[in-house]
Amino acid sequence: MDDDEAVTRALAGDLDAYEVLVTRYSAVAHRTASLLGAADEAQDVVQEAFVKAFRHLKGFRRGSSFRPWLLRIVANETHDLTRSRGRRSDLAVRLGREREPYGPGDPGDPESAAVDADGRARLLEAVRALSDGEREAVVCRYFLQLSEAETAEVLGVRLGTVKSRTFRALRRLREEVGREHFG
Amino acid sequence: MSTSDDRDPIAPEDLETRLRDLGEELAMAPVPPPADVARAVRARIEDGGAGDRVRPRAAWRPSPRVAAAAVAVLTAVLLGATPQGRAAVVSVLRIAGVEIHVGGAGPLPTGVPSPLPGERRVTLEEARRGARFPVAVPSALGEPSDVRLADGGRVVTLLWPGVRLDEFDGTLGVVWHKELGEPFPEQVGVVGGWWIPRSHGVSYVPGDGGAPREERVAGPTLIWQHKLVGLRLEGPDRVEAMRIASSVR
Repeated sequence: MDDDEAVTRALAGDLDAYEVLVTRYSAVAHRTASLLGAADEAQDVVQEAFVKAFRHLKGFRRGSSFRPWLLRIVANETHDLTRSRGRRSDLAVRLGREREPYGPGDPGDPESAAVDADGRARLLEAVRALSDGEREAVVCRYFLQLSEAETAEVLGVRLGTVKSRTFRALRRLREEVGREHFG
Repeated sequence: MSTSDDRDPIAPEDLETRLRDLGEELAMAPVPPPADVARAVRARIEDGGAGDRVRPRAAWRPSPRVAAAAVAVLTAVLLGATPQGRAAVVSVLRIAGVEIHVGGAGPLPTGVPSPLPGERRVTLEEARRGARFPVAVPSALGEPSDVRLADGGRVVTLLWPGVRLDEFDGTLGVVWHKELGEPFPEQVGVVGGWWIPRSHGVSYVPGDGGAPREERVAGPTLIWQHKLVGLRLEGPDRVEAMRIASSVR
């Protein structure tokens, strides 16, 4: 069952069809909520978003893509949450430990691995230090690997805004990481 | 340090690749199996949405300063008839742990106020220690003349002569259930809440999931949320209610 058919059936009240959509997009929804700052409340945010999406399914423009439409609701829920908690919508993540980051040159070389891991940590810190708007653009474009158009829809901003925020964010990251690199 | 890419460590495309790689290595809070999420969502939909919370919506985006000043507009979730169809078309308004059914109310209930589960009289300090949320006191009213703590710290009731202020954990589930006829409650921007101008039926929904308590008649009531706390203020008229609500810190 593709998204369009699932939406059609869900609109007719078929909850099995809606379960298909929830199952399909659960992972990316959780990831989006976490990356936009929901922290340990990501599960709550995601459930809420799916319930709201169902209720507002009539507002979904048929023929467009379901994923960014849903993720926008997730993003809005996350924003509401962080705002109501009075906290910054920080990146609720840490560097993974499961996969040891080995350097490209000499995998297995502990020194190279350490340098590389250090670089990633610095890059993550630099992303964290971006303004909310720039960080969210980076999160959507690179961490979630959404297109510019999808990013615009998810964040509820114009395409040009996505482009300029991404551009500024990359420039800043380059400055930060570059300075560290040579410093 | 001399790695091979020292000369141009941050070429644009390289930075973008590094960001994508970084994204794939980020560890997040554990995610439940999608099938579990689907089941939970379905249960909530079938349930009519118990557990909904209402938080400030992102319809417009206040600056952080404005948001911090707690002027954020709260728009309640407005649910129409579900696709499954409901017997009567009743608008359901859910805000801060209060579920309001508008339009389907019969005659006003005849029940008299009964204590909430485990309700006991406490001091303000005891209420603060025992409540599951920070207890707010409206400065416009000063120290309450009576304080009650109920249902394992889920509800704190502050009383002044002619005024009742219930505070409750407004983030999870439904704490109060209200039945009213038209008119639809009036949204008030000042505190981001809803004003119910008429007498109506109210019942308490216990935290243990038990059956709602007997319905009683409530007078005109203001419902709003302050931070994570749901509040219902009963007794004062509209103007006074706004004044009191605005003084909650």
